[in-house]
Amino acid sequence: MSETIPTAAPPLHDYDREPRRESGPRKRRLFDRWRQDPLLPEAGAGGAPLTAVIAVMSFLAVLAMASVIIINQSAGRWTRDLRSEITVQVKGASAAEIAASASAAMRILDGVDGVLEARQQSATETTALLEPWLGKDNASAFLTVPALIEVKIDPRAPPDLELLRGQLAAAAPGASLDDHAVWHDRLETAAQSGQALSFLVFALIMGAACAISVFAARAGLAANHEIVSVLHLVGATDDFIAAEVQRRFFVLGLRGALAGLAAALAALAGAAFMLDAGVGRDSFLPRFTVGGWQALWLLAVPLATCLVTALTARLTVLKTLQRQY
Amino acid sequence: MSAKTQIVDFDSAGIAYGDAAETLSDVNFQLAEGEFRFLTGPSGAGKTTLLKMIYLALKPTRGQFFLFGEDAMNAPREALPSLRRRIGVVFQEFRLLDHLTAFDNVALPMKVAGVNQNQYREDVSELLNWVGLGDRMDARPPTLSGGEQQRVALARALVSKPDLILADEPTGNVDPAMSERIMKLFVELNKLGAAVMVATHDLHLVQSLGKPVLRIADGKVTRAPGAGGAA
Repeated sequence: MSETIPTAAPPLHDYDREPRRESGPRKRRLFDRWRQDPLLPEAGAGGAPLTAVIAVMSFLAVLAMASVIIINQSAGRWTRDLRSEITVQVKGASAAEIAASASAAMRILDGVDGVLEARQQSATETTALLEPWLGKDNASAFLTVPALIEVKIDPRAPPDLELLRGQLAAAAPGASLDDHAVWHDRLETAAQSGQALSFLVFALIMGAACAISVFAARAGLAANHEIVSVLHLVGATDDFIAAEVQRRFFVLGLRGALAGLAAALAALAGAAFMLDAGVGRDSFLPRFTVGGWQALWLLAVPLATCLVTALTARLTVLKTLQRQY
Repeated sequence: MSAKTQIVDFDSAGIAYGDAAETLSDVNFQLAEGEFRFLTGPSGAGKTTLLKMIYLALKPTRGQFFLFGEDAMNAPREALPSLRRRIGVVFQEFRLLDHLTAFDNVALPMKVAGVNQNQYREDVSELLNWVGLGDRMDARPPTLSGGEQQRVALARALVSKPDLILADEPTGNVDPAMSERIMKLFVELNKLGAAVMVATHDLHLVQSLGKPVLRIADGKVTRAPGAGGAA
């Protein structure tokens, strides 16, 4: 029908009854040709406050995911160390008896398949282990300190420990073998508990992000009620409006999530730096570094956060619109 | 002569807000394709309510209402947008989106219908030029005068070439010359096949065009006697 509209329109400026407020010529910018204003205004969807909350959520979620990875890495390192080492302790009534049994134990260990190295700790090293409880040079004065043999084994082809226990019992009286199984089990249990707790925290944070998105989407719809109403009246489907809201929340969520990721990575780097500076890189304490493919999990967290935010907003809007005519 | 298809068909329809008495009751009228009707009546009589029922902003609380042959009262929600897209509405209070430019406001019906910008850019520009706002395409509604806003609203109602045009006091904020131009535009669009219904207080305008008139008073919709032919 527009083809019949006369294009030679008379000047209309004199007709206006109300004074015109000049908007001023808008400066043309690059990409103006492709740029379109969003149909829902930025401020109406929660804007800066929502971005800030998502940033905090993302920060906490990245830390929770990092703790899962760090616990996993540390537990792996600890259990690997435990699996590749066993200890033979030789007790006896006198130092001579202990020395004889220790020598016998060393001879047995040298000939066992799967044993990479066996080293008897010196008396100084052994008594040094007791110093925290008995004080310096006190132990040897009134105690017959057992001998300790550190045995490095091949974790891929470990020796038959039960057979080795039998051989030691027969040839080296007072010798006992500790395969660290108790520590290994405890560490594994502790690591699994820590990981489960971190996953729970991560899930709670995601749940909170969903709840916040629901509130923000409802508030956004209430604030933009007139706009949504006009969109409906010109023929917009619920899906169209929900997609607009979803796009808006995705952008807000992405901004916040990336800010949260950056802050979390900075916090992890700071913690790693302070730990290295304080106790050194060889400490048995967990190291706050995430490397390799596991780092991808951290990068996936902000993406998951903004996807959860956007999808929750979409579903909330669809549900709300369904109640309208 | 073949019978024209009824675009709007009310049968004993009524509407009430909440538990209050019916604002409109026993609405019985039809609007066939290509028809032109004025809707008159005192302020608060229900002209806007009737238009809202037609453009599917309000649902009648009783009776039957068919729009473009579809049972609009029982149609699934998913069917309503396609019906609304066939209607162009000039709202009394304009209802422009303040954060969008005049161009984007006019283009809104095309955007929601998923039309590519390249396809509607020319139509939108042409319409804005016609209503005298060719130099204000980038202006946002708060910076436009009432008359300018009304012209943007008019352009938005027409851009999708609707089958039914509803206008609620479309000349309320413009001068007589612009008012005459707008009405002539409606008449031209009507000649091209669009059904038109204009709610107005301006009896001079009604008489000058000699089109059929529906009158609303005391909650009833009646045909005004002797007003430009049969309704």
